[in-house]
Amino acid sequence: MSNSENGRKSVLVVGGGIAGIQASLDLANMGFKVYLVEKSPSIGGRMAQLDKTFPTNDCAMCILAPKMIEASSHHNIELLTYSEVEKVAGGIGKFKVKIRKKASFVDWNKCTGCGLCVEGCPVIIPNEFDQGIANRKAIYLYFPQAVPKKCVIDKREERPCKTACMDACPVHTNVPGYIKLIAEGQYKAAYKLIRETNPLPASVGRVCYAPCQEVCNRGQIDEPLCIRDLKRVPGDQWNIEELEVPVVAKTDKKVAIIGAGPAGLAAANDLALRGHNVTILEALPEPGGMLRVGIPEYRLPKEILRQEIGYIQKLGVEIKTGVQVGKDITTKKLKENYDAIFVAVGTHGGMKLGVEGEDIPGVMDGIGFLRAISLGKKVNVGRKVAVIGGGNTAIDCARTAKRLGAKEVTIVYRRSRTEMPASEEEVTAAEKEGVKIEFLTTPNRFSTENKKLAKMECVRMKLGEPDASGRPRPIPIKGSEFTIPVDTVIAALGQAPETDFVKELGVSLSKRGTIEIDTKTGATNIKGIFAGGDVVTGPAFVIDAIAAGEKAARSIHQYLTGQPLVGEEPRKEPEKLSREEIEECKKRFPSRNKVEMREGPVKERVQNFREVAFGYSPEEAVEEASRCLAGQIEGCIECHECERRCEPKAIVYTMKDEAITLEVGAIIVASGLGLYDISSLTEYGYGKIKNVITAMEFERFTAASGPTMGVLRRPSDGRLPENIAFIQCVGSRDFRNKAYCSSVCCMHATKEAMLAFEHHPGTKSTIFYMDMRAVGKRFQEYIARAKKEYNVTYIRGRPGRIEVNPENDNPIIRYEETISGEVKCFEAELVVLAQAMVPQITEELAKILGIELDEDGFVKVPDKLVQPLDTTRPGIFACGYVHSPRDIPDSVTQASGAAGRTAEAIAGGK
Amino acid sequence: MEEKDLSHPRIGVFVCHCGINIGAYVNVPDVVEYAKQLPNVVHAERNLFTCSEEGISAIKKGIKEYNLNRVLVASCTPRTHEPLFRAACEEAGLNKYLFEFVNIRDQCSWVHMREPQKATEKAKDLIRMGVAKARLLEPLEEIEIKVAPSALVIGGGVVGMEAALNLARQGFDIHLVEKEPELGGTLRSINKLFPTNQEAVKLIKPLVEQVKSHPKIKTYLSSKVKQVTGFIGNFNVNLDGKGEENKFNVGTIIVAIGADALKPTGQYGYGKMTNVLTQLELEGRMKRGESLGQNVVMINCVGARVPERTYCSRICCMTAIKNAFLIKESNPKAKVWILHRDLMTYGVDFENYYRKAMELGVRFIRYSLERPPEVIGDKKVEKIKVYHELWRREIELPCDMLVLTTPLIPAEDNQDISKMLKVSLDEFGFLLEAHLKLRPVEFAMDGIYICGSARWPTDITEGISQAYAAAAKAAGPLRMGYVKAEAINGFVNEDECSGCGVCEVLCPFQAIELQPRDGKRVSHINEAVCKGCGTCGAACPSGAISMHHFTDEQILAQVEALFS
Repeated sequence: MSNSENGRKSVLVVGGGIAGIQASLDLANMGFKVYLVEKSPSIGGRMAQLDKTFPTNDCAMCILAPKMIEASSHHNIELLTYSEVEKVAGGIGKFKVKIRKKASFVDWNKCTGCGLCVEGCPVIIPNEFDQGIANRKAIYLYFPQAVPKKCVIDKREERPCKTACMDACPVHTNVPGYIKLIAEGQYKAAYKLIRETNPLPASVGRVCYAPCQEVCNRGQIDEPLCIRDLKRVPGDQWNIEELEVPVVAKTDKKVAIIGAGPAGLAAANDLALRGHNVTILEALPEPGGMLRVGIPEYRLPKEILRQEIGYIQKLGVEIKTGVQVGKDITTKKLKENYDAIFVAVGTHGGMKLGVEGEDIPGVMDGIGFLRAISLGKKVNVGRKVAVIGGGNTAIDCARTAKRLGAKEVTIVYRRSRTEMPASEEEVTAAEKEGVKIEFLTTPNRFSTENKKLAKMECVRMKLGEPDASGRPRPIPIKGSEFTIPVDTVIAALGQAPETDFVKELGVSLSKRGTIEIDTKTGATNIKGIFAGGDVVTGPAFVIDAIAAGEKAARSIHQYLTGQPLVGEEPRKEPEKLSREEIEECKKRFPSRNKVEMREGPVKERVQNFREVAFGYSPEEAVEEASRCLAGQIEGCIECHECERRCEPKAIVYTMKDEAITLEVGAIIVASGLGLYDISSLTEYGYGKIKNVITAMEFERFTAASGPTMGVLRRPSDGRLPENIAFIQCVGSRDFRNKAYCSSVCCMHATKEAMLAFEHHPGTKSTIFYMDMRAVGKRFQEYIARAKKEYNVTYIRGRPGRIEVNPENDNPIIRYEETISGEVKCFEAELVVLAQAMVPQITEELAKILGIELDEDGFVKVPDKLVQPLDTTRPGIFACGYVHSPRDIPDSVTQASGAAGRTAEAIAGGK
Repeated sequence: MEEKDLSHPRIGVFVCHCGINIGAYVNVPDVVEYAKQLPNVVHAERNLFTCSEEGISAIKKGIKEYNLNRVLVASCTPRTHEPLFRAACEEAGLNKYLFEFVNIRDQCSWVHMREPQKATEKAKDLIRMGVAKARLLEPLEEIEIKVAPSALVIGGGVVGMEAALNLARQGFDIHLVEKEPELGGTLRSINKLFPTNQEAVKLIKPLVEQVKSHPKIKTYLSSKVKQVTGFIGNFNVNLDGKGEENKFNVGTIIVAIGADALKPTGQYGYGKMTNVLTQLELEGRMKRGESLGQNVVMINCVGARVPERTYCSRICCMTAIKNAFLIKESNPKAKVWILHRDLMTYGVDFENYYRKAMELGVRFIRYSLERPPEVIGDKKVEKIKVYHELWRREIELPCDMLVLTTPLIPAEDNQDISKMLKVSLDEFGFLLEAHLKLRPVEFAMDGIYICGSARWPTDITEGISQAYAAAAKAAGPLRMGYVKAEAINGFVNEDECSGCGVCEVLCPFQAIELQPRDGKRVSHINEAVCKGCGTCGAACPSGAISMHHFTDEQILAQVEALFS
């Protein structure tokens, strides 16, 4: 087929509302190839927004959806949604059209419209489909019945930061996402988002070493975000015990997890969410592992941890405490009773100093000390306490000793401050509380007086060449020995795994006594047995243990469902901003320092174990959260949450707009109606008085699949209004605004008044009008029915202004009743404005199409009597509201008419 | 395509997770295992999304690999997804009616989210039922009906002429039938047309010439359609009068017979007083250039929007304003009052026109139905007394001529057309469209279309748009040359049919006719017209009518499977 022949057989329809759909269907049924271009992501247009339609009160969606589906499945129709016309060249019979298909950032060949992505998206944007009465996400389905049913990402600009935080985090927490939600005050959503990859948000939000903060790109501009402090905010501001438990289809697989620390809990959480039956066996009397017995109350209140573990139990995880594997249950039984085993026993053994006098009572190991205190045992530390070691455990021991009443607490560390592994903040906090630190010092021997520990002899050190750990080797300085008087010595040197039972399982161990695993999958050498956490890595951080637990859970799930173990993908390294990017950011975002978290005064806090850090107030949280660079932009922040959730892997952030060139014989313009901006009509208070809404907003309130599921609640207090006023001709038949009559509002208001009554029987409606224009089939009878059966009263008069009753937020309408000539007031609970409607075509689009518009912006028709559907450019036709104000039946008729006119114009003489 | 052996059902079951829509509540692996054990199921598998490319290729692969001759998908709703899965079957060489759809999402996982165990059991039940039906599925073919490349247009007014020309320009043979001796319809009596004030004759004349000179249009003047038989694609038309000339076949039919204007006999002195006339009569006077007097009063809504005729006839307000405008324009000293109720000047042009008429000095007085104007005078109207609603007092207007604005009423011929074409009338007596909103120019009966004031009062621009619309609908089958009839339709077991005729009465599509067969009369279903709604099958007292794809045997097998 030659090109021109091709052109003659195809038609471009601009606008996918009911008129565009109908014109397309008629042309397609006549054998034309139709390209239906629609700028929004779905066809359906205004009609899709309506609840019901006059005068039959059919549900709009119920009669529209079959048409949409017919159009999408018609072999002669190609839908080009989310697309716009860019250029039209040529003429009738041989138009050349350039279309720009906007990037949806979702591969529509893969997207199934399931909407899982939408739930996770943290970016909240007013929903234009709902006329802004509700919000949508940055990734969204245009409306539930969208055709095509495909998601779109509303990505407007590039994110100014590299989200290095996410790459640095071992569980890739969606940091920009939850921070965005905190900035919006959406605490529950924020908690749930963190919980996606971390089952212990509130706990971790107190104790994490926060590798995210170290790399935060904001740190390159002024100060990094206080990410960890923000993480505890959702749990502080919202009751995490209210988190609902999802319903999950159960499998028949049983998994035993040994150890109820962070690794075991994380694995249990993920496996339970996948439907498996999980039992955790915990040797200690309480679950939580090091979070429970290693971290003191003043840093992590046990109640918080209990709540977070409690939720995991609500998921169906059984935790058996006080059960020691190998003793209380044999390893053989374990293997028999469970389909898979995860070993996550941590490192709860203390390490020896190897110096003289270590066995004297009063010298204790740090881990044991903290555990005893955490489990409520009494320990008398005396007045003078020395803590040996430089890690966080040493600091915890020192600060705990202080709280137990010790007057002098000294930390003895063999290297200098720079090498100290404990976190800077912790060290500072300890010093504030009066803990002394002796650097470059190590104990040589302990001795007694009166059979009680009394002295610790130390020696000073100097730093030599780096050792195996990469840190400078401390070398004792001869002759520098000195003695410190002590009542108690706490040796916080390190932790060792206790893995005797593991050997029975046949699992291979390293020389250090840790379990050897395949680092990608967490699998041990024995099939069905997995391990993770400190027992694999040696002592590490909570978040690393959680990551290990999650990795193991993925592998265990694959193992239980007979899939190959896939393992983790290599991680992307955190990226820094380039110099140019830093400059750009500095220009765009004024410098703002971080919000410091308030703490209890030192004097008071060393008296007890109450939590030191107070957490942010909501205002502080918003202030700090709004510093996040990613949250500075509108639309998608590329946090990748949708990508993580999308099962068919359809998200493509790099997608570009696509140019499509078509050859068509004719064009039909059916771009529909827009809503006139009535903000200039200040007398009606729209936008200021809460209970004054527009008719289209009303429609979204009553629509069954709308944001309120069809419940009409008035904005000020959510009450169901029983007395509604409708004001007609708001912007229409008005010289200051639109002189013409919008044609559909009289019937539209009558319908809405009927709907109000149907939704809430007894509702009284009053319609203020100029002329009741009801000219279609059954329209007069419809109005008669409204009066008779639906409690609708019509008052002729154009209200002058609306005021508000301050007592109940009721709008008060002042109007002249033209029939009696009286000026009256009318108090309603809700006012609905019949906002004028305008043709939805920009001058720019008209220019592209090469057609003229009339002074009101409707498509200009050269001779309405001879060719009522022609435009000023031969070969381009128009129908629907963009042609002239009209209702659905008239638009549908015109659409078919335009199709008929097109057929004769380009295929004449067949 | 190779014929599949269908005698031994080999059923493939594809269960969709629909992401978590189904998968999170229904234990899909369990359901698949269950399906595998059902009789005749030779293959069962699960897909994350059966509608995805992977899912579709899994179906095709399954058909080939396991030599499936029935396919069942358990997923979402047939409304959106059945065409897709049917197409997949067809592409793999399986008749698409050998596909069975089970909805375990909308009707199962979504409504039983809180009880996953029961949802899983229900999914199994639904699939067991589906398999029971699938076992009995038969291949079906959609029959193609040839369409004669010609159309009948009834009515030679402007709307009918436009429709005829539109189709003729597309190359189809058109038979245009007009009962009057001339083409042009009501417009022949009209002076000028709103909103451009163009003379009506300037619109009709060229149209008539085009119609007369078009080689594809055959015009029958002073003729009426006497009988129409047949169905879409092949209607047999008989005109009044004898001879082969008056018999022809057409593929489609357009009805454009217009409407009549009400004569308000007895109202406001009409028929008794000499200076009272209707707008239509005024048009004639204006056309002939007769003098109209200095004081003209018009009363709107005479016989419209009243208890005995509740509707608004849409075009009368504009007709009155136009004539008032034209009087003022030609004689600025004349006084013209329009007594009206609601003024129906909807849209851009009419509202504009209304405003211009006011600027020109046409006076508008609002009256109410409760206090209608009164005529003062004896043989002639001399004054009109009216309660001015906005001034809230009674006033008297001098009157040389009283013009009554009356509505369009259904044409007398509507009754005959309704009977002859088996199309319905609405409660007002206008012809009834298939769907008021979405199928305004179609009848429920395929192949027959409606435009212009025969359906509802319309002005010229709307009428022409409707003419094109009806032509577009009529052109569809003509251009394609065939129509496809529904394969899922009813069929009659003639041995069991008692010829009672219940089905014939009930059929909403006039697809059933009793026909003589071996000495008795039996029901005959015209496949080309049948839409497969099943009404006849449900009503047949002898159980003689079944529906393809929903046979009693198939439905009972499902019921039995449910309770087994």
